[in-house]
Amino acid sequence: METPLLEVRNVSQSFPAAGGGTVEVLHDINLVIREHEVVAILGPSGCGKSTLMRAIIGLEPPTSGQILYRGQVQVGLNPSMALVFQNFALFPWLTVQQNIAVGLSHLPLTATEREQRVRQVIEAVGLAGSEEAYPKELSGGMKQRVGLARALAVQPEILCMDEPFSALDVLTAETLRNEVTDLYTSKTSPVNTILMVTHSISEGVFMATRLVVMGAHPGGIRAVFDNALPYPRDEHHPDFLALIQKLHALITQAVLPGEPAPTTVAGVGGLPVQSIPGASLSRAIGVLEMLENEGSLELFELTRHAHIELSQLLLVVKAAEMLGWVTTPGGRVEMTVAGRQFLAAGIKTRKQLLNTTLRGLFVFDLIVQALKKSASGEVDEAVILDLLARAFPHEQPAQILRTVVAWARYAELFKYNSIRRVFHGLPLPAASASPNPR
Amino acid sequence: MVTDRQFTRAPRAFGWVDLAVAGLLAALIYALVTVAHEWSGPLQQVPQIHLEARYLPLYTLFSLSRGVIAYGISFLFTMVYGYAMARVAGAERVMLPVLDILQSIPVLGFLPGFVLGLVYLFPHQNIGLEIASVLMIFTGQVWNMTFSFYSSLKSVPPDLVAVARLARMSWWERFFRLDLSFAATGLLWNSMMSMAGGWFFLMVSEAFVLGEHDFRLPGLGSYMSLAIEQGDRRAQLLGVLAMLGMIVFVDQVVWRPLVAWSHKFTDEETPAASGSWLWERVRRSRLLRMGSLLWEFFQRRTRPPAVAPVTRAEAPGGGAVNARRWSKWLLFAVLGLSVLFGAAEYLHLLTALSGSEWLQLLGSTAATFLRVVLAVALASLWTIPVGVMIGRNPRWSHALQPVIQMAASFPAPMIFPVVVGMMLAFGVGLGISSVGLLLLGTQWYILFNVISGSSAIPRELWEVSRLARFSWRQRWQQLILPAIFPSLLTGWITAMGGAWNASIVAEYMKYRGQTLMTTGLGAAISQATARGDFHFLAAAVGIMAATVVAFNRLVWRPLSHRAQTRFTLET
Repeated sequence: METPLLEVRNVSQSFPAAGGGTVEVLHDINLVIREHEVVAILGPSGCGKSTLMRAIIGLEPPTSGQILYRGQVQVGLNPSMALVFQNFALFPWLTVQQNIAVGLSHLPLTATEREQRVRQVIEAVGLAGSEEAYPKELSGGMKQRVGLARALAVQPEILCMDEPFSALDVLTAETLRNEVTDLYTSKTSPVNTILMVTHSISEGVFMATRLVVMGAHPGGIRAVFDNALPYPRDEHHPDFLALIQKLHALITQAVLPGEPAPTTVAGVGGLPVQSIPGASLSRAIGVLEMLENEGSLELFELTRHAHIELSQLLLVVKAAEMLGWVTTPGGRVEMTVAGRQFLAAGIKTRKQLLNTTLRGLFVFDLIVQALKKSASGEVDEAVILDLLARAFPHEQPAQILRTVVAWARYAELFKYNSIRRVFHGLPLPAASASPNPR
Repeated sequence: MVTDRQFTRAPRAFGWVDLAVAGLLAALIYALVTVAHEWSGPLQQVPQIHLEARYLPLYTLFSLSRGVIAYGISFLFTMVYGYAMARVAGAERVMLPVLDILQSIPVLGFLPGFVLGLVYLFPHQNIGLEIASVLMIFTGQVWNMTFSFYSSLKSVPPDLVAVARLARMSWWERFFRLDLSFAATGLLWNSMMSMAGGWFFLMVSEAFVLGEHDFRLPGLGSYMSLAIEQGDRRAQLLGVLAMLGMIVFVDQVVWRPLVAWSHKFTDEETPAASGSWLWERVRRSRLLRMGSLLWEFFQRRTRPPAVAPVTRAEAPGGGAVNARRWSKWLLFAVLGLSVLFGAAEYLHLLTALSGSEWLQLLGSTAATFLRVVLAVALASLWTIPVGVMIGRNPRWSHALQPVIQMAASFPAPMIFPVVVGMMLAFGVGLGISSVGLLLLGTQWYILFNVISGSSAIPRELWEVSRLARFSWRQRWQQLILPAIFPSLLTGWITAMGGAWNASIVAEYMKYRGQTLMTTGLGAAISQATARGDFHFLAAAVGIMAATVVAFNRLVWRPLSHRAQTRFTLET
């Protein structure tokens, strides 16, 4: 068998956490990328997609494991790759031309060759006429064209793109997606392999020959899916739509398994040690509103109705599932009796229902118990962060805390003072529904 | 206008600007020669300072050259110190507090060391004294530039760093094209402030008494101090005019064009009317084109020889890392030892002070503290309402900003005598009128910051306050004060630091042949310098630095934290 272009072998990546210790963002990743592939990495927010790409290109060497390029262990930056950034990363003080030339200064080229290359990519991405413009004079789409041109100018074998179209509006993103795909399929550029991170399934299906689905906490590959649709792809073709639907089901299964996540250790109060997804309650309730009529929807349908990216929606659905409002058999999202009850209730009852539910969740119980034990009725944020860091070594405790505070405030479970950084209790859940004049 | 039409017809032709620039170049060369002549002259401790008007241009030139050289040193210091502080691992923990302390040491605290050391080094030439004077101006300029550069370096966007790494920029390339370019805007604004800060102590830096020696260097500062000493009204007026002329000149010829040019480094669209007449002319002139061609040529020459890319690039050898680690430790050891030595020597100096002297110093500190707080409070009283009003109205703030800036860069000590003279006429002593002097010197910082704070209040919030029919009181309590609080705080911090420093010239002055002074730490420092009592001077300077640092840590820092967490406007 021929040596693959790129091989990711047992790569793990840890970063120092906010309150000391480390968070493992990637855990034991294995991935092979062959020539003439377009690989899209998909997954919910915070699953380490971008981290994996940065490890592959050599910007952040992995904590353990290896990246092999044509069978050789890669040390430092890989000169055969170029990166397109989500937020363009252009130097504001350089013109379009100069920005593109930035990537060329280290290559063994004469001045004429350099100029030629710049001119060539400027033509290729449709920037001709804007050579002397500064980035601030350009629209988002034009800026990303500069980002793309800068990457193409070094004539990379592998073009890496980190959510390249997500900072653009829908129409502009559509245009650029088509242009990049044309660039690749028409073979006008030396790029023959593309590795991209995306949070949109349709974008992945539109561009990629292979889709890699990642899950979070710790980040790992959950599923790999080949996409043999011929180019040029039509987003309205039945085959395309069928594939997207199939992929949704696959992702739902991979990232949102039907039964609750298996827990080995029981917490202090006998509750399963379980973190909470970083989603807002308003969005979770919004999902219930959408399910109100049909009672259940395909995740695919839900994405289309909700107008939010799958990576975000997955977190919201997960949150709703954790609160007992929905179940997710296969690729479907089904509203439960509890969900319907919550939806039908008024604001006071909703708060009471949620209050009871949250008391049954590990992270909230953790704080409630700590508050009970505290003589002053207050608990310092640092104490909770420490407990969370120990319970969830793969997550950022501060992030969990932000969600906890938001949910607990809605349910009036306990209060949080952001100036003094302490939690303090409310009198009693029943008495908390105090008469409010407005 | 004829010239304008000419430009529209042939924008690239040599115009009067090019001629002017060439003339300026010639003048510069002449100036350099003159300054060099003065520097290499034999040491005269009390050279004749003339109060005739015809000497003023030359004196102004001397002062300006000192300021420019001091700025050059400030810039170099900023590059080295700021870069090391931001980029050498672990350095920041030591270097940041050190900078904080250095910043709080008043200019006179550096004086004896500089003067005695340099006069000892160059016993027969003026150059020692000149360098000492330049270094004193430098201590009035440098600190805020270093802080600004440091904080810019800390906030370079990580994505741009990634691009620089992917492009395998060399250290120099990365420094110039990324770090320095990113820091340019902040550095420029702070440079303007720094120049003004340097002028503030110009009179002290050019004419001072140290023990038995009366040191004077020909310059605008020494001219002014002689004029004040002799009570020569005409000469004082001429000196003020010369100073104003110099400030306007530097502003129009250096800062305005630079600010206009520096818009290139920001991510924002250039505001339509922020131009500088000089920059508008220069950027259309042919000289600039030649300059940029020259620059490109230079860049091309300095570009590192291209190397073939290798997969195993960037792998540092183990030996290099080790050597670097060793040299770092060595550096820290040397630094640590010299700090220890300095501290021991300093403490030794202090042992000579008697208990009553310490008591006297404490009393003086209390008096000056009171004056400083009073001055800041009084300044706030008028600057807050006026600043808010100006900030609310974009047209006003646009028109007034340059005027205020100019007023702020004028060294207030030069008009102190006028104020004191008037106060004396009303029978008010220096004890009280020095509060007014401190206010004169530091009110601008507050005004500046209030303007910028109030202009950042979103229009929607003003509208809400109107729709909710806020009373006058509610509007201030609920909207204006919380919204401007973070910037007001910055203003207060700068003003207070400045006021402590200014007390040195406000509480002690030579006026019409007599010495006016009052109880205060500033007066104690000035007096100790004049007496050549280094024990007392060391103690007084130490107390002032300690008070400023302690106040910063105990009052301002917690307040700023609160301001940042609670009162920051999210937009």
